[in-house]
Amino acid sequence: MNKKLTNVLVSLGVILVIFAIIMFALGTQSIGPFNFSVDQATLVLRFVFVIIGLLIAFAVYYATRENAAWEVGTREVVWMAIGAALYAVFSWLFNGTVFVVPSLSQVSLRPAIAIPMFFGFAFGPVVGFFSGAVGNIFGDALTGFGLSPQWSIGNGLIGFVAGMALLFKDKKKSMDTVLWVSGVLALLTVVLFFFNRGVQNGFYFAASEPVSIFAGLTIVIGFVLVLVVRFAFASNENIAAAVTWGMLGNIVGILFASLSDIFINGFSLAAAVVGEFLPAAGPNLIFAAILVPLLVGAYAAVQRQSGR
Amino acid sequence: MLVAWRYRKREKSLIQWFDPRAWIMFYLCFLVSTLAFWDVRFLLPFFIIALIVLFTSRVQWHEIRRAFIFIIGFVFFFAILTFLTGRGGSELYKQEHLIRQFKAPFSIFGWVPTLDITVERLFFAVSQFVRVFSIAMMTILIPYSLNPALYGITFKGLRLPDNIAYAMDLTMRFIPTFGRDFQLTMDAQRARGYELEKISGGLIAQVRKLGPLIVPVTIHAIIGSEDIIDAMDLRAFGVGPRTWLDQLTYQRHDRILVAFGVLILLGSLAVGFVGLGKFWVPPELIKLAGG
Repeated sequence: MNKKLTNVLVSLGVILVIFAIIMFALGTQSIGPFNFSVDQATLVLRFVFVIIGLLIAFAVYYATRENAAWEVGTREVVWMAIGAALYAVFSWLFNGTVFVVPSLSQVSLRPAIAIPMFFGFAFGPVVGFFSGAVGNIFGDALTGFGLSPQWSIGNGLIGFVAGMALLFKDKKKSMDTVLWVSGVLALLTVVLFFFNRGVQNGFYFAASEPVSIFAGLTIVIGFVLVLVVRFAFASNENIAAAVTWGMLGNIVGILFASLSDIFINGFSLAAAVVGEFLPAAGPNLIFAAILVPLLVGAYAAVQRQSGR
Repeated sequence: MLVAWRYRKREKSLIQWFDPRAWIMFYLCFLVSTLAFWDVRFLLPFFIIALIVLFTSRVQWHEIRRAFIFIIGFVFFFAILTFLTGRGGSELYKQEHLIRQFKAPFSIFGWVPTLDITVERLFFAVSQFVRVFSIAMMTILIPYSLNPALYGITFKGLRLPDNIAYAMDLTMRFIPTFGRDFQLTMDAQRARGYELEKISGGLIAQVRKLGPLIVPVTIHAIIGSEDIIDAMDLRAFGVGPRTWLDQLTYQRHDRILVAFGVLILLGSLAVGFVGLGKFWVPPELIKLAGG
């Protein structure tokens, strides 16, 4: 076994142990501000899901470990830094207090989200993860928010999943699978929304209002936009793939962050998905569907010019 | 061209007296400990520490003025928003005690705007202000007091791998540069008649309007990166274990600082474990409000 594989195994093991401690040892109590209560009835089942998730992560890594996408050389180090710095600067400038972004009621507007998606897609999952996670940390620090590790990791996952596009040889086939998976996930959350219309919007700008029908359906609008881009640019595989993988990344990453609030802040499933996931992930998807193709197109022109 | 944060060597600055690694560790302990509390009585010591650090930092007011005005506005905005709506705190307190209620003399579609001023909301706003402002003061000072030449070795000293430490170093250096690039791009686009402030068109048209800002800044950054990549490759980046130009050594006062930070963290977690430090309102005030 080489050193790299051992490292990956060790880090997955550490994640598993952390989950085990949180779920089994702390699962019945809240400590200070942290509410770790986990529904004891479904505890084992949930833990099995954690193990399955980690096994999938490991399987993807193992099957593709020879792939160039995992390499981190000089170029990747510089791209990571650029991605993270751009994401931090854009999220700071567009947070609505410095710079007025066309605003809509009740949804978070983060055009910056296109950055981790684009960097993940163009430069690989590792660069994507770093751009999202570290960029979010610095962006929060610039704005004056505290740190919320689960949202940083969620943002990292957005870039990471977007970068997984590079791991599959058959782009078209993988793209269709991704579309199906994202569609099902989006549909499930919207169904949950219609069964829980009273849930309050979890973000600060939507003061104690229930999630509006518009905020609840943005994810559908986003999905339709992605579909349009996917088929309008059917001949330009790069743009179509960037948008579809970015969409899956957005859904997986934000879902991770909002679901982890079930453990951290003691939210219910409905509060996490309807109150946090939908108002964040839906608008993100709209921005992604429009801005990511622009970035991918511009970058393709640069590549043609410089020959790299 | 890179733009740097406004760091300069400051004599007799408390924060710059310490090793940057020690300071970052202390900062992280401070951050987590502050986030563990909602009780003003427990938050005050942190607020005082942050104030001491600020006033002994020797950073001039005119250097941090803009950042501070922004943060103060932001924190006030948050605190007042939660105060007016009562949102955010409602997870922390169960019942409210009314001091005064303002009711609008009119109604909009059957909804009468009402403002309830309660003891809990008032104190929640105060706690929130103290909490966020303590963290913000400590955070703002970091770029002003951390020598850019030491970014890399600091992150390396915090046990990050070479690659990641260097990427963090570059990230911190790029942030002010890209901020400047963004400003330049916006000015250039404005000169060409681009109007972001004018809100018109549908949703898609509005989002597309951000393209002329985001795309040039991003692409320019990627093209510019080629020079940095070449420079790093020429100096054989990543071929062997890295050495750094500057070395850091812990002094006695650095060890004391780290120990102090860890002590605060453990103390806060212990206090939280016992169940103290949750949201608190002075009982006298509740009595006053007729509770």
